[in-house]
Amino acid sequence: MSTTLERPALATAGKTAPSKDSRALVRNQVWAGWALLTPALLHSGIFIVIPVIAVLVLSLTDYSFGDSFDWVGFGNYADLFRDPNFGASLWHTVLYAIVVIPISMAISLAVAIGLNQKIRGLGFFRTAFYIPTVTATVAVATIWLWIYNPGSGLANGFLSLFGFAPNRWLADPGTALPSLMVVGIWQGLGTKIIIYLAALQGVSRDLIESAQLDGAGRWQRFANVTWPAIGPVQFFVLITSIVGTFQVFDLVYVMTQGGPGSSTRVLVMDIYQNAFQNLKLGYASAETVIMMIVIAIFIAAGRLLQKADTND
Amino acid sequence: MTSVSLPAVGAAKPPAVRAGRIVLYVVLTVGALLMIVPFVWMLLTAFKSNLEIAKFNWLPQELRWRNFVDAMQTAPFLRYFRNSLFIAVGETAFTLAVCTTAGYALAKLPIRGGKVLLNYFIVLLLVPFQIILVPLFLIVKSIPLFGGNNILGQGGIGWLNSWWGLIIPLGAAPLFTFLARQFYVSLPDQLAQAARVDGLGEFGIFWRIMTPLIKPALITIAVFQIEAAWNGFLWPLMITTSDEMRPLQLGLAIFSQNPAEIQWPYLMAGTALATLPMIVLFVFAQKRFVEGMANVGIKG
Repeated sequence: MSTTLERPALATAGKTAPSKDSRALVRNQVWAGWALLTPALLHSGIFIVIPVIAVLVLSLTDYSFGDSFDWVGFGNYADLFRDPNFGASLWHTVLYAIVVIPISMAISLAVAIGLNQKIRGLGFFRTAFYIPTVTATVAVATIWLWIYNPGSGLANGFLSLFGFAPNRWLADPGTALPSLMVVGIWQGLGTKIIIYLAALQGVSRDLIESAQLDGAGRWQRFANVTWPAIGPVQFFVLITSIVGTFQVFDLVYVMTQGGPGSSTRVLVMDIYQNAFQNLKLGYASAETVIMMIVIAIFIAAGRLLQKADTND
Repeated sequence: MTSVSLPAVGAAKPPAVRAGRIVLYVVLTVGALLMIVPFVWMLLTAFKSNLEIAKFNWLPQELRWRNFVDAMQTAPFLRYFRNSLFIAVGETAFTLAVCTTAGYALAKLPIRGGKVLLNYFIVLLLVPFQIILVPLFLIVKSIPLFGGNNILGQGGIGWLNSWWGLIIPLGAAPLFTFLARQFYVSLPDQLAQAARVDGLGEFGIFWRIMTPLIKPALITIAVFQIEAAWNGFLWPLMITTSDEMRPLQLGLAIFSQNPAEIQWPYLMAGTALATLPMIVLFVFAQKRFVEGMANVGIKG
């Protein structure tokens, strides 16, 4: 079929000056290509590339809205390390990531393995686990705000069935961050389950069956066949989780505003307040650069973990 | 599985397998309930009276549909709803226009450095929005000749508090260019060749031959973008100053700001209003959406 379609093109080209004609055709395509690409290149240049460069430059200045600004070199960075708010928010963000990522990855993988069996009601289960993910974080946050309500919320109501004393959840500095983590894990399961499920369906049936014939048990089949096969997907889930957890903001903004005290203050919250409430844009930019570096460190660590795992 | 391959061997195996099955169903069902119960709780609360919510109770005494109407009067949820719809439609149209064209060019047209450009978009896809927040705000504020700005982008507010500012910067994410490109790549080149022979121009080939063939991809991209736009919060929070422009999520957040004065039934009614359209969209587009997610995961 392909040849019959191509032949006329060659024939017409062959009649007159072939090279000139086809060169014009190609030139046409190149021209069209650049015309079609230009909007996307302009858009990404203006709204992504320039901001990334600008954040690096701004972080070395004391820029505030409208004012002229001075270079302060690494002054902002030096100040950041003496700033207790920054220290607290960095620590809470890292803690949030360290707790939420492994737990949500483990639960998602387990659920995906369950859903990968031949079971009834797959559509229902998939929808149920995915609905929190398609729901706006603000809506999720308002719902959980009400669940965590100390007086008549669902959480305390449920616990009271088993005779537990009511908890103050978000109002108590000791439980506020863990309460947020629960919501973060709950909301993030859907995406990971879907990705794991797709990966599991790509694992070779033949390999599993031949392992089974060789007498490998359920656990051995998982450890020796399934786990290595989904390695690249694990890494993808890990990276998107790292980037995602470092961005946590909506949840905190609606549920605790960083409080009580500063027990749930996270990086993006601190950046937002420094930039748009304290109007210290240079300072907030320096904070952003540090966040970028920490994300990079986390991804590099994930990469090392993955390498160590595949070398085993 | 084992019961199928070894049907005759012993009576010991099938019961064990069946027990495993039952455990599996129980665990999955409990898990699924944990996912859904908060939404049920939201809906039940939306029908309760302010008196009823004073102590923990599951079912409302009566279904107070009026709560939804009253909630609209307490806060302009209907206007927020309309604003969100407008932003979602605008962002999606903009995304489809910019990302299909770029995706097509990257996939099918002989551009020098095409490979490098593809990598450029893939790298940008990894830039988290929060990182560019501050300068993005400054850029949007200094768009020339808008919002009282001069040609150098000074003096006014640019795109702040405008539909332009709400829609354009967050549309056309590199992810969608990449996705569109993946789908165009799978179309055979001969189609374009044949159209060329018939005298169709390059733009005609893009628009009339190739793009109609990736309709499933267009739907995937549209659903992703509608969802992202509908659920957006931080950006509208930063650039809107008037209640007139606020989208639903921002309205909800403001409504829930003072814990002492929150009227929970109204807040839950507003939250239901914000939640249900996306759930309905998801249920309808479920298969495609899930496939799209899985593809992003595997190819990313």
